[in-house]
This record gives sequence, structure tokens and C-alpha cells, in this order.
Amino acid sequence: MAIRLCAAFCAAVFACVLAPQAGNAQALDRILKEKKIRITAEVTSPPFGILDKDNKPTGSEIETARQLAKDLGVELELVQVTGPQRIPALLSDRADLAISSLSITTERAKSVWFSSPHGALSIVIGAGKNVNIKSAADLAGKKIGMTRATLEEQVVPKVAPPGTNIVFFDEHSATQQALLSGQVDAIGGAAFLINELAKRNPDKGIETKFTVMTAFYGIAVKPGNFDLLQWVNTWVFVNKQNGVLAKIYKEHTGVDLVDLPPL
Amino acid sequence: MTYVFQFGIVFDHFPQLVEGALLTIRLAALAMVFGLIVAVICAYLRTSGPKPARALVAVYVEAVRNTPFLVQLYIIFFSLPAIGIRFEANTAALVAMIVNLGAYATEIVRAGVQSVPAGQIETGLALGLKRLQIYRFIILFPAIKAVFPALASQFILLLLGSSVVSAISANELTAVANTLQSTTFRAFEVYIVVTLMYLAIALAFRALFAGIYWFVFIRGRT
Repeated sequence: MAIRLCAAFCAAVFACVLAPQAGNAQALDRILKEKKIRITAEVTSPPFGILDKDNKPTGSEIETARQLAKDLGVELELVQVTGPQRIPALLSDRADLAISSLSITTERAKSVWFSSPHGALSIVIGAGKNVNIKSAADLAGKKIGMTRATLEEQVVPKVAPPGTNIVFFDEHSATQQALLSGQVDAIGGAAFLINELAKRNPDKGIETKFTVMTAFYGIAVKPGNFDLLQWVNTWVFVNKQNGVLAKIYKEHTGVDLVDLPPL
Repeated sequence: MTYVFQFGIVFDHFPQLVEGALLTIRLAALAMVFGLIVAVICAYLRTSGPKPARALVAVYVEAVRNTPFLVQLYIIFFSLPAIGIRFEANTAALVAMIVNLGAYATEIVRAGVQSVPAGQIETGLALGLKRLQIYRFIILFPAIKAVFPALASQFILLLLGSSVVSAISANELTAVANTLQSTTFRAFEVYIVVTLMYLAIALAFRALFAGIYWFVFIRGRT
């Protein structure tokens, strides 16, 4: 009796585990039938995802999601997530797609499937006009400021030649202030941040010297959703060609979208 | 609650932490010496200097004691370059610490100076000593002795407060810890080790102060 009960229980558990999996192969059909797609929205990483003054989500990633839902002809349901929840939200079927500044990495590809990139984040070196920096080699002997716990903190030291003096600040605002007050020769940071800093301080003549690396943002689906991924890839291809992605990106970040290679 | 401690990562970077700790000690020690000099001079000006000097010292002391240390640090590092005064991060940190400690210690030393009985000063005057001589030979010694514990506490506060200077990229102990934490993500281990290092440094300074007190004020003077 006990064994039979146990077997029944196991069968039930299997059914529960397998059922959504089986359904996933027709994720696109389901979305079209329900006329609703659920996409993650992370609203704490401007200018990619933020809340506007009416507390409504906006930013380049959110607008990309809106455009995608519109082109698919279904209603959009934004699933608000925090940074660490972006992938779990997909895997637990709370969202169909994750469009939340997820850079494409081999590590993440172990748990989700990525589309071709639709956006990017470049880490650049910014400095005043009179500072002579053209490539990573020119960083030697210069004082470079950057913010702790950021992407630039990981990538800039790797390309910096020996003799580069890298100093760390706790906040972006302090790093930028250090450049403005001449306490550092140059700073590392996201391209859009340097661009904004240059625009707000035209008298300082700040410009982007070179790009250290570019992280590409992809749209992630739960593994197994071939049909959905195929449609998303087609959508990315079309909107890359017609310039819609570049327009959304420029509108929100203020910088041009880099060339996006296909995945 | 299945956190696995990995102190190995912290100890791999221990030389960096030691370097940070040495800078913390150096900054604190220099600030203590120069801060005390500032305090002794300002306390003299405050109690027996000319009127404008008294007012000036009062403004300095009140301005520093009633504004946050972090803001003072930002002014010295970020704002002074606008008028052509530029300090390296470590120098800016030291200057800010001296300015800050100087103000607090001025008040402490002044309290000590005013605790010296008027009779002793009158004795000096009767002996024909000049004002500075009276301050130097009659007032200062008992004054410092009277307020030594308060001064020592202020010094320790300064040592611990020096953790703030990581904000302007001075690479002291807390700055090293922050960097280490953000690259290894072992916040718990890093900060526990750093806490113990601060504790050890503070206790060592306290022992040093007790030694100085005994050496200068007790030995051979009872």
C-alpha cells in the first residue's frame, strides 16, 4: 500500500515537473493564444530600465520590450524583477522573456538561451581633450579613476599596462568629480555616463578616448523554447536592419548603438 | 543559513590589507602629531592671544566641529583644486585629518589650560616671565596632563574615523577592504578580518598612549 501510494505521489510529481516543460515547446503558440507576453522589467539600472516621474517603467530595455510586444501583436505584461532575479524569473515561468540588460556570457548561457544581441554597454576611458590617450598603452603613468563594484573595475585593470595608477571611489559621482577637479587624468566608465558627463560640463572638453570592451545585451528565454527564441531572433534581425533598435537605444542612452554581431 | 566561510581568499590578499593598515597607521600617527601642534598653538591663541586671533581660532574650531568630516574631506580634495591648491589623495586625507583633529584637540587643550590655577600663572608673572614663557613652562605641562585621557580618546576616534578617507581614493585599510569585497564578494570574511585589524591597531595605540603618559607625566615626577 505504502509503495503504491509512494509511486502515485512520484507520478504526480513527475507530471507536475514535466507538464510545463511539454507546454514550453509551444511557448509562442501559447503567448499568441493568450494574447499576452510577460517580460521582465528591471527598473534600477538607468538608462536601460528606470521609473519615470509618474512611477511607470521606462528606459531602453523596457521600450524594447514594448516594441517587441507590439510587433508580436499581443499585450505586454511587465514582470518587475531585481537584478539577481532576472534569470530566476524566467526559469520559474514567471516571465516568458528577460529583456533587462542581461549581458551575454558563457556562464549565463548555462542556464538560459540568448537571442542575438539587441543592445550593448561599452566601457570606455574618458578624459579631457588635452590628455593624450589613444589606446590602452597610453594609460601608463596616468592616474585613472573608477568606481568600485562595477564592470569597469573588472575590465580596465586587465588592459592597463604596468605603471598605470588606478584609484577607486565608492560612488560614480565621486569618480566623475575627481575627473572634473583634475584629481585624476582619466576615468573608466560606461559610454553613456561619460557622454552625459561631457554634455553637462561642456567647458571641461571631456571626450571618449577609446573603448575598453563592449558587453552585448541579449534577450533570454527559458531553455527549450525553440519557437519563441526563433521568433525573437527574427524580430531582433528585422529591427536591427530597420534601425528601430538603434533609435530606441539612442533616445534613452544618448549614445549611438554599436554594430551588433549576430549570435 | 548554510554560509560557508572562506577566509582563504582574505588571507591570499593579506599583504594588501597590511599595506592598507600601514597607511592607516601612518596617516593617524602624523595627524596626531601635527594635530596636537595645531591644538597647542590654537589653544594659546584662544586663551591669551590678541583679540582677532581669538576670534579666528573660535571660527575655525566651531566651523570644523559643526560640519561632517566627509564634507571637509570633499572640500579639500574636490573643491580646493578650483582655486589652484591640489593635494594627492593621501595628502588631502592627512590635511583633512589634521584640520579636523586640530579643532577638537584645541578645545580639549583649552580646557586643560583653563584648569591651571591662576596662582601658578601669577607666580610666573611675579618671576618676570613673558607670556609665551609662562604658557610654555608653567601652563602647558599640567594642562596636557589633566586632559591627556580626553586627548587619547580623541586620537583613537580620529584613527577610526580615518576609514572615511577611502571616499577620496586614499588607499587605506577600509579602501583595500572595499576593493577586496567588491572583487571577491566575501563581504563577511573581509570585514571581520578588517574589524579585528582596526581593533588591534586601536588597542596598540591605547597601549602606546598609556606608555607615553607614564613616561612623560609619572616617571620621576611623583
